[in-house]
Amino acid sequence: MDNIKIERTERTPEVNFDFSRNTFVLRGESYPENVPKFYGDPIKQLQEHLNNLEDGQVSFDFDLVYFNSTSAKVIINLFETLDAAAERGLDVTINWHYDADDDNSAELGEEFGEDLESANFKLCPRD
Amino acid sequence: MMLAEENYRIRESLNNQGVIFCYSGYMTEAILSGIGQAIKQKLTIEETDSKTVRSVFSVFVEQMQNVIRYSVEREPENSTDNVLSYGLITVGQSNGNYFVTCSNKIRHEDKEHLDRQLSRIQKMSGEELKSMYKKILKGDVPESSKGAGVGFIDIARKASQPIEYDFADVDGTYAFFTLKAHV
Repeated sequence: MDNIKIERTERTPEVNFDFSRNTFVLRGESYPENVPKFYGDPIKQLQEHLNNLEDGQVSFDFDLVYFNSTSAKVIINLFETLDAAAERGLDVTINWHYDADDDNSAELGEEFGEDLESANFKLCPRD
Repeated sequence: MMLAEENYRIRESLNNQGVIFCYSGYMTEAILSGIGQAIKQKLTIEETDSKTVRSVFSVFVEQMQNVIRYSVEREPENSTDNVLSYGLITVGQSNGNYFVTCSNKIRHEDKEHLDRQLSRIQKMSGEELKSMYKKILKGDVPESSKGAGVGFIDIARKASQPIEYDFADVDGTYAFFTLKAHV
């Protein structure tokens, strides 16, 4: 599967999905005009890829400065997708990056992370 | 009346309410971007702490997107792409707190539903808002409370006081809805 690399804009995050290394990154701001249109294809490809993986390590970095409530829905779905992959035996780690002074983002990360049953979850404060 | 006098009166009336930004007219996603950036810039110049800047910005985005999606005054009608949606937004400061208000026309028949949703959100504790937020995001929401828009809950979570809202009658068909959140 071809890697996906989308540059960040004022309203959309950098998307860096490396299917050969199994590292996945969303970095920047997320309040796209059209959320399904922006995330639809990359997430579909990620799901297909994970479904075809038998074992191995997968890491997903959520490095978002701001995301709106519609993007939050996408994020929580991604958590569920990654947790399901971990349940099937993949070694999945989710890294949640946030500004050290941003307790709202830290709290949201914790809220999303507490429902994970099989994936590893790390809170990663930025300096 | 003189042109300048009339517009100055409007400006002074807004200033007296602490309004820093005001837009009334057709809203688009591009307008959201533009005003949003200006709000961040202005608050940063005022050395507002970054948490407050983030919360004001976030409440602003959710409020604008509510108008863009749900205002009944829209052109072209019944379209969801590239719409112009009429609304009024203000961002200001009073008693040391920032506030964001947003208004748009709704149909009378939608008033009761909106009122029920918002009065429920208004009474929720921080913990209740948190759990409702996640339930809605996960799609675990009973059919009866569908449309307890996650945007409204997000606004209530970022607000430092319970949200305020009410309705004004416009005519037999429409009411004017306003939501105010203090950050």
